[in-house]
Amino acid sequence: MKIVVSFKVVHDDQDIQVAGDGSLDFSKAHQVVSTYDLNALEAAAQLASATGASVVAISAGSSAIDDSKLKKNVLARGVDELFMTADDACANMDAFASAEALTALLEKVGDYDLVVCGDGSADNYAQQVDVQLGAKLGIPVITAATKLSVEGNILEVERTLEDVVETVRVALPAVVSVAPDAALPRIPGMKDIVSAGKKPAEVGGAETSFVNTLEVLDCRAPKQADRAKVIIDIAEEGALSRFAAALKAAL
Amino acid sequence: MKALVLAERFDAAGKLCAGARSLADEVVLVVIGEGQIPRGVADKVVHIALPQGAVYDDAADTVNAIFDAQAPELVLVEPTRHLKVIAGKLAAHAKTSVITDVLELDGEGATNMYFGGVAHRRLKALRTAIYTINPETFAELPASGTDAIEEAAWVAPQTPLELVAVAPIEKSGVDLFKADVIVAAGRGFAEESDLDLARGLCDKLGAGLGCSRPLTEGLNWLPTEVYIGVSGLMLTPKVYVAVGISGQMQHMVGCNRAGTIVAINKDKNAPILKQCDLGLVGDIKEVLPALIDVL
Repeated sequence: MKIVVSFKVVHDDQDIQVAGDGSLDFSKAHQVVSTYDLNALEAAAQLASATGASVVAISAGSSAIDDSKLKKNVLARGVDELFMTADDACANMDAFASAEALTALLEKVGDYDLVVCGDGSADNYAQQVDVQLGAKLGIPVITAATKLSVEGNILEVERTLEDVVETVRVALPAVVSVAPDAALPRIPGMKDIVSAGKKPAEVGGAETSFVNTLEVLDCRAPKQADRAKVIIDIAEEGALSRFAAALKAAL
Repeated sequence: MKALVLAERFDAAGKLCAGARSLADEVVLVVIGEGQIPRGVADKVVHIALPQGAVYDDAADTVNAIFDAQAPELVLVEPTRHLKVIAGKLAAHAKTSVITDVLELDGEGATNMYFGGVAHRRLKALRTAIYTINPETFAELPASGTDAIEEAAWVAPQTPLELVAVAPIEKSGVDLFKADVIVAAGRGFAEESDLDLARGLCDKLGAGLGCSRPLTEGLNWLPTEVYIGVSGLMLTPKVYVAVGISGQMQHMVGCNRAGTIVAINKDKNAPILKQCDLGLVGDIKEVLPALIDVL
């Protein structure tokens, strides 16, 4: 069995700065694997070790995602092989364009049985690429998976929805997206990272352009409410009663 | 203009139809499954009966057929996990992308959050506009319509999912959206038993108890449904009391629209003390019992 796991590379949100006009400044932000896609990588690796499957990681994004540290980080997480489309034609794709780019990349991977996605990306968190990818590939999609297992050709998934847990079965191939609870990402050791450097990684450009169906009209930090910032230190005299009085007044 | 509305819950259907009515001349509501069909909120209701053992998501092919027959310019969708799948498949079918979790619609575009609320982004759909949007956005608007109901012919998916079991999730019974006052606990709580101090404060303030991500994911001290922040709850209480929470952006987007933000933290340099109305610098174990006493 071959498991493909799709991940997105995003700017590290801890390093995003807000400029004076409210626009976002990414110049100091590193390229990282989107947080919940680490859970997807882990879920794929755990399912592979339970079933003896191989794991291929795929990603499509700007040319900046071809980053050796990042590639090693992915390959050190129980992944056997990596395929990437790293091309500025793939920067800031919406769900429709992402599904097209990933479908093109999957043609290079060849046959697969299961595609694992994360719960949503750190930037858009639209929870749509998994669904669009399944539709584009013409295979079923199961979202919100918190537990998954494969028996023969059948995938069984527990999906945790708002009010119920659904247990769902489907014949492979299929796309499954996992909730963060499905698998806690490992912390790769030194040995994993060293051996990751020797694993196959194929990085190519985009052969066509992928057209976005959404246009960004504006993107800026929302104006924050001006807060009063009255700070009282417990060491000050009467601190507690002043704080309690101010708190009561706010209720 | 014609709008299609996809809603899973009865109340949501009425509200989204009211919203659709304010944006379009004609409103068609799609109802999937055996729930109650709302009356008088749309010009037409198209009902999709789910075959025995079918998973809700598998109504997508039928929804696509309804979309083709109705040819709406606008689709409003309730943001549930089931409908996000159906909306995504519809978007693939219509060669567009869904604009998800819309905060605000204007004539031209729709605003949603980018990087969990670090920025607000205004997007415009170049093809059919499909929005998932909280029905409460339209709670004030009146719905109107006829009682015309049409049964849709089931379009079977190529590879159907099989529903094996459905089990209800045991909820803690807390609905933080309804609370005027929220106490949120963070990493500053070193031990699970210390949360009793937060609970004591809740009792005094008539508050609901929520938390930042580490206390529910990993530690499991509190249920996932009370986690506040990116991909968790986004709350707008009258008063928000953050206890032992440092104030990372990922948490603050869940509470920064609160009326008053109060922070208790032992670190005087914690980012939250620069984003609050009222702050107390002190150790939780020392400050909370004393505060509970004087309130």
